[in-house]
Amino acid sequence: MPEFIIKRVLQTLIVVFLALTGVFFLVRLSGDPTILFLPPDAPKDQIAEYRHTLGFDRPLYVQYADYIIHVVQGDFGDSLVTKESALGRILSSFPATLQLALSAFVVSLVIAIPIGVLSAYKRNTWFDKFGVGLTVLGQAIPSFWLGLLFIYFFAVKLHWFPTGGRSASLSMILPTATLAIYSLARLVRFTRSKMLDVLKKDYIRTMKAVGVSTLEILTKYALKNALLPIITLIALDLGALLEGAVITEIVFSWPGIGMQVMNALMSRDFPVVMAGIFVISLIYSVINFAADLLYSVVDPQIRLK
Amino acid sequence: MAMRKKKKGSSLLLIIVAMLMVLTSACSSNPKSGISLKNKQLSIALQSDATTLLANTDVNSATDVQIRNIYDPLIKRDAKTGEFKPWLATKWKSVNPNTWEFSLRKGVKFQNGQPFNAEAVKGSVDYILDKANKSAYLSRWAAIKEVKVVNDYTVQIITSTPYPTFLHRIADDLLVMEPDYLKKVGLKKAAVAPIGTGPYKLKEWKRNQYLNLTANNQYWAGKPKVKKVEFRYIPEFSSRMASFLNGEIDLFDNVPVDSVKQVKESSTGKIEQVKSARVDYLALNTFSNGPMKNQKVRQAINYAVDVPSLLRTQLNGYGVQITGSLAKNNQDYVATKGYTYDSKKAISLLKEAGYDPQKMTLTLDTPTGRYPMDKQVSQAIAAQLGKIGIKVNVHVNEWGAHLAKITQHRAGDMFFLGWGPSYEGQTTIQNLFTKNAPYSGFYDPKVESAINKAIPLFKESERKKAFGKVEQMLVDKAAWVPLWQQENIYAVNNSLNFTPRTDETLQIFDMSWK
Repeated sequence: MPEFIIKRVLQTLIVVFLALTGVFFLVRLSGDPTILFLPPDAPKDQIAEYRHTLGFDRPLYVQYADYIIHVVQGDFGDSLVTKESALGRILSSFPATLQLALSAFVVSLVIAIPIGVLSAYKRNTWFDKFGVGLTVLGQAIPSFWLGLLFIYFFAVKLHWFPTGGRSASLSMILPTATLAIYSLARLVRFTRSKMLDVLKKDYIRTMKAVGVSTLEILTKYALKNALLPIITLIALDLGALLEGAVITEIVFSWPGIGMQVMNALMSRDFPVVMAGIFVISLIYSVINFAADLLYSVVDPQIRLK
Repeated sequence: MAMRKKKKGSSLLLIIVAMLMVLTSACSSNPKSGISLKNKQLSIALQSDATTLLANTDVNSATDVQIRNIYDPLIKRDAKTGEFKPWLATKWKSVNPNTWEFSLRKGVKFQNGQPFNAEAVKGSVDYILDKANKSAYLSRWAAIKEVKVVNDYTVQIITSTPYPTFLHRIADDLLVMEPDYLKKVGLKKAAVAPIGTGPYKLKEWKRNQYLNLTANNQYWAGKPKVKKVEFRYIPEFSSRMASFLNGEIDLFDNVPVDSVKQVKESSTGKIEQVKSARVDYLALNTFSNGPMKNQKVRQAINYAVDVPSLLRTQLNGYGVQITGSLAKNNQDYVATKGYTYDSKKAISLLKEAGYDPQKMTLTLDTPTGRYPMDKQVSQAIAAQLGKIGIKVNVHVNEWGAHLAKITQHRAGDMFFLGWGPSYEGQTTIQNLFTKNAPYSGFYDPKVESAINKAIPLFKESERKKAFGKVEQMLVDKAAWVPLWQQENIYAVNNSLNFTPRTDETLQIFDMSWK
């Protein structure tokens, strides 16, 4: 177990390092941001001077080395726009993202697993077809568009919810629903197919023959055995939800990491973009790590190596 | 083991029950409760947040439109004409070519009770000039040598060279801060807790979410009519529009021309519009080694682009065609004789220049979403040039990349850009058509020397004449394809009295509820 943890921590560090390196060079492909921070009529010498103070006149590898040295010391630099700590800006918007992702996660879980189980049990009935149809639709609709549709119907037409923001108490519902639907669709399909596999097994037939109730078969025996691969997907999904939150946040003006990183990208605020990538990649790795740990809890046969 | 299983099952049940309770309670509460305050609070949607609440620091317009309600300028502009109006300064004069003198309004107080005086003006200008403050306005103010406090209510600003357009800098850039407060709390604190003399005080600023202001009832010009204000940041246009239609937002700017109808037909709002002092143009890039170096080719392009048709079809008529380099509400604007659409003439000019239009391929760089219908206009221009046989490849760029291409002289043969708002000729012409200026793509030493002759002139009529000469020269040399003066289009809630301003600021002091 300790060996496994050390290995995973190292892996996490490598993943985060690679993500930071990749994004460092990618954002710099978009060019020098200096001109965006000065008035358009700024003379060349002032632009050059400002570029020098920001350090963008140095060779790329020097900028990179300098950046990594600072990151290792926990210093992600200051925002080029607001001059505040870049990591601080990202962390301050983290609770909003987490709130959105977790609520979408819970909603999709609570709805998806029962639908998946029932669809498998009532295979080829109207319920199954309806459920599968809905999930295909949910997966096919881009969340960006779905978000706008929700806004149009539930906010503009019906006035049930606000169109965006995070200040009103009801403002959470629409972004949560938008975000939940995508992972819900995947979870339903996955639960259904895993359940179908399990329901074909001999021991299920035996249970039926013995006269165990359907509910008990489904929840106690079938679902439990189907759960292992589902947990993997669930864990990966939480990571994907955090990513999906980026788009959803922009549509609903939800002030989380996604909106923060998007704004930073648009204004070429590199330190904030990098700090955002750091936090997102770290969370993603940690969630996967947690999923692996969870395996051993669900199935003691799996030893962590 | 069995015990543990049961526990898990029951906790799952608990979660489900809790979720259902949250959902049902959420649905049963009154969803409209957030909107009923509308008659008290004015909500304005902006695309992005302010970067700081310090004045005189950031040139970003999102910052400026918000803080202009907290701080006051010395000189204000008239909403429609852009002419100077006394504000914190009651009078001003040019003592000699290098000295401007301002008489200041008496009895004005900052929001912390400190008096407004000449020291405050000096402190605000010195703030820009101090390199340590990294003010983006520094380059524009570099010609300022000294600020002299003559007495409490008279201040002189001395420039190192004659600066005829200085009053424009005073009107458009300078906002007065409380210097003692800055010293006392430091810039970091003042950037989030601003103190000005303006009509509104900061209530709360939540980064990336909203900025809330309350009326400053001690305001020297009278109590503001709108008592509570909220700027909300909604980056996505469709969401902005939805919030407006839903009544959550009372005002937003830059309504795309293809969405005007939707606002007009809605029950919530109306459209207000004003001719901006900003011009859009198609630059013909003489910095790249293409055919645009040839004057005849540039003239041919001018003949081949049908501007009235672009205005009609792409902008639905929202804009005013320009033929020269300045907007019609610019004080140095003179009527120039431009080019009118003539495709035959375009073809013959190209042939004279030694080009076969059927074999020509040009590139056109365009931003997207920065100016009204910019990408669509660029594509339509490509189609118009296609009619005379020229193949045009349109490159659509993200804004930062577009700007970088232009400043580094990497743009294609043509590029789309806008400039302004600008009320006098120099800031446009000098910044676009001199050697170190990349934004027009055009440079000619003869034009530059004519510009240099116009810049030091003090008398307005002489300046206008000299700049007028440059404007006609630029047309004759077909320096670019002038397109139009933009129309600023606002979506406004029916119950709000709002007059749009040519300078694109949002001055809530002038607004009221019906």
